[in-house]
Amino acid sequence: MITLVKQETFKLLHKKSTYAVSATLLIIMTVFGVLTRNYPKYWGDPKGLFVTMFTGINWIVLFMIAACSSIIAMEFQYGTIKELLYRKYYRGQILVSKWITMLLYSIYFYVLAFVWSMLLKVVLFNNKFQLSDTYQPGHSVINSMWLGIVGSFLTVWLVLSLVLLLANIFKSTAAAISIGIIGYFALSIISNIMFVLMQKWDWLKWNPLNMMNLPSQLVSSSFHKMTLLSTPEMVVGSLVYTAIFMAISYVIFKRRSV
Amino acid sequence: MSDTILNVEHLNKNFGKKQVLKDVSFSVQTGHIVGLVGPNGAGKSTIMKAVLGLFNYASGTITIDGEPVSPTSHKAMDKVGALIEYPGIYPFLTGYQHLELFSKDSTSKDQIMDIVDKMKMDSYINRKAKTYSLGMKQKLGIALALVDRPKLVILDEPMNGLDPQANKDLRTIILDLAKQGTTLLISSHILSELEKLIDDLVVIDKGQIVYTKSMAELESGSKKLLVLKTSDDAKAKEILAQNNYQLDNGDKFAIVENDQTKMADVIKLLSDNGIDIDDVQHVHSDLETSLLNLLKNDKVKES
Ligand SMILES: Nc1ncnc2c1ncn2[C@@H]1O[C@H](COP(=O)(O)OP(=O)(O)O)[C@@H](O)[C@H]1O
Ligand SMILES: [Mg+2]
Repeated sequence: MITLVKQETFKLLHKKSTYAVSATLLIIMTVFGVLTRNYPKYWGDPKGLFVTMFTGINWIVLFMIAACSSIIAMEFQYGTIKELLYRKYYRGQILVSKWITMLLYSIYFYVLAFVWSMLLKVVLFNNKFQLSDTYQPGHSVINSMWLGIVGSFLTVWLVLSLVLLLANIFKSTAAAISIGIIGYFALSIISNIMFVLMQKWDWLKWNPLNMMNLPSQLVSSSFHKMTLLSTPEMVVGSLVYTAIFMAISYVIFKRRSV
Repeated sequence: MSDTILNVEHLNKNFGKKQVLKDVSFSVQTGHIVGLVGPNGAGKSTIMKAVLGLFNYASGTITIDGEPVSPTSHKAMDKVGALIEYPGIYPFLTGYQHLELFSKDSTSKDQIMDIVDKMKMDSYINRKAKTYSLGMKQKLGIALALVDRPKLVILDEPMNGLDPQANKDLRTIILDLAKQGTTLLISSHILSELEKLIDDLVVIDKGQIVYTKSMAELESGSKKLLVLKTSDDAKAKEILAQNNYQLDNGDKFAIVENDQTKMADVIKLLSDNGIDIDDVQHVHSDLETSLLNLLKNDKVKES
C-alpha cells in the first residue's frame, strides 16, 4: 500500500499543474491580503479575511475538487487503468491508495495556506489585530480560524467523496468537477429555501447539503436554529455521508470492466 | 506439471447478452512463444484481459504457474508483464519516469537502461511522453511489459505502429527472451507477422478456439504447389491426371508437389503431348492462406 501511495505521489509531483496550483493559491491569498491592507474601506475587516485564510479556504475546495476528479478520471483518459490493475495489487488497494494520496494532498493545502496566512498576518497586519482578539462571541480570531478549518475540512471531504464517486462513474473530469463545484457553492444559493423546507419537513435536515453548514455552525452557536441539528450530529452526518459515497465508489471501482 | 505456465480451461465471458468467449481452453508451455491469432473482434484482447485478472468471467478456470487468476486473486501477476490493446501513457511523464514508476523496487536502474537500450529508445527516453509518436509510445508500452523481466509476457498486437526496423528489433528481443526461458503469449490478426517467431499457434474466431497446434505441425501440413501456365490448360490437366499427378483444387492450375514430383518430368510429359509451357512456378502455400482456409472451412458453429 505504501508503494502504491508513493506511486500516486510520484505522478502528482511530476505534473506541472501541481506546482502551478500551489503558486496560484499563495498569489491569490497575497493579493487579497494586500488589497485589504491598502483599501480597508472596500475590502472590509482584516480579521474576517484572516479567519478564511485570506480566502484560501475556498480556493482549496476548488483545487481539491479538480485534483480528486483528475486522479481517478485520468487513468481512464490515458488508458493507464489496465497497467494499474493487472499488477499483483488488488483493485481496492489501488483506489484506497488514491484516496490516501488525496487526503495527504488536502492536508498539505491546509498546512500551506495556514503557514502563509500567518506570514501574511505578520507582514501585512502585525499591528492591526491580535490572534487573541475576539472575533465571534466566545471565539478568538485564531480559535475561529481553527474551527473554520476543521469544519471546512469535514465538509470538503463530503464534497470530495462525491467528486471521487462521480469521476468513477463518468470516467471524465469535466462532469465530476462541474457537479462538485456546483454542489459546494449551490449551498449559498439554495440554503434559504432549504431552511424553509426543513421547517416543514423535519427529516430534510438530514440531507447532505445541510451538513455543508458545519463550518458556520462551529463558529456561530445560534446557527443550529437554522440547521436543526446539533454540532455533533452534523459532524457525524458529514462523516456518514462521506463514508457512504466512498463505499459506493469502492463497489463500482471493483466491478468495473476495463 | 511445471511445464505449463498458463492454463485456461472452459473460459466463458459475456458482455451483457453478447457471449464473447465460448468455452475457451488452451495452455502455454514454459519457455514457448505462443501466437494467439484471429480476426479483429475475435476475442484476443478479451482472453488476455481475463488472463490478467482484469475482469470476472462467467465460468472457467485460469491458472498461472498453478495459481488461480481472477479479479480477486492477483498473486500470480507478480510474474507477468503485459501490453494490452494500446499502451497507457501519462503525457506529463518522460519515458524513463514511466519505467521508474511501474517497475518493481527490485528492478535496478541498469535493468531499466538495458531495456531502453535494447528497444533503441535512448534518444527520447528523457522527453515527456506527450511528444512521442505512436510508434514511440508502442515501444514504451512494450518496454513497460518487459522491464521487470517477468516469467510470462503477454503482448497484444505488439507490432502495431512499429516501423520495419523496430519490428525487427522486437523480434530479436522476443527470441532472446525466449532463449532465456521467458514465456510469451503474443496476439496478432496477421499470422505472417508471427510466423517466424512462434513455437505454437492458437487460432481464435468469434470467441472460439478453432485450432491449436505447434508451428512445426502446421508447416508440415501446408502444401507445395507447382503452378503452370500452358497453351492448353484443359488438355494439360487431363494428361497430368492420367499420369497420377495430384491437381490442386484452387483457382489456379497447379500440381500438388510431393517428394517424387520433378519439374523436368512434368515439362517433358506436357511437351511430348504437344502442349507449350508458358510459365512454371514453385509456390509454397503460405501459412496465411492455410489459416484463411482454416477459418473458412472450419465454419465456427453458431451456438
Ligand atoms: N467492454 C466491452 N463491452 C462490450 N463488448 C466488448 C467489450 N470489450 C470487447 N467487446 C466485444 O468483444 C469482442 C471481442 O473483442 P476483443 O477481445 O477486443 O477482440 P480482438 O482483440 O480479438 O480484436 C468484440 O466483439 C467486442 O466488440
Ligand atoms: Mg484486440
